[in-house]
Amino acid sequence: MRTYENIMIVHPDKVADEYNAVVEKFKGVLTDLNANLLKVDEWGVRKLAYPVKKQGRGSYVLTVFEADPTIIDEYERRLRLDEAVIKFQTVLLEKGFVEEAAAAAEEGANAEEEE
Amino acid sequence: MAERTTSGTPAKRSVRRRFSRRKGCRFCADNTLKIDYKEIRNLRYFITERGKIVPRRISGNCAEHQRKIREAIKRARNIALLPFTAGHSLD
Repeated sequence: MRTYENIMIVHPDKVADEYNAVVEKFKGVLTDLNANLLKVDEWGVRKLAYPVKKQGRGSYVLTVFEADPTIIDEYERRLRLDEAVIKFQTVLLEKGFVEEAAAAAEEGANAEEEE
Repeated sequence: MAERTTSGTPAKRSVRRRFSRRKGCRFCADNTLKIDYKEIRNLRYFITERGKIVPRRISGNCAEHQRKIREAIKRARNIALLPFTAGHSLD
């Protein structure tokens, strides 16, 4: 088992129920693949540094989980298949999971008000 | 022998100079600072206005920490937290 951290950007048009469905879906995918979920952090809608799939913003979802290296391919394949996920990145945490303040999420939080 | 003494003095001088000039690596000086690709506020200091990574000779980082900064910036860019370059506009 290794500890991984995944960030996915959900399409900004997915709101409320649709958005929750996407988040729940991928939580379900992970548990199906025998991963052990450690943390799910929803950063909310933030501005993207550059447009992705013609979208200027997106909602970030950070997931930390323990899993076997073999399931990552399958998990990323599923992410790629879902149109609601516009970008994702999985990073291996070599030091394991360390709880810390989610300070990064704050900066984008006020991006909402700008428009 | 005469050569030795002459070569010894400029070396000393350059060492002294380097000490007065050196900025020092902030991450080596402060152990509590963490490098994380998700915390773009801390990374912003290490990129230029155009989005380039600030070189080590300017930022003063040591090799190890510059490497970590570089890795973090690239990860942040990949997930659209930091720009690859300035001037991405939607409209």
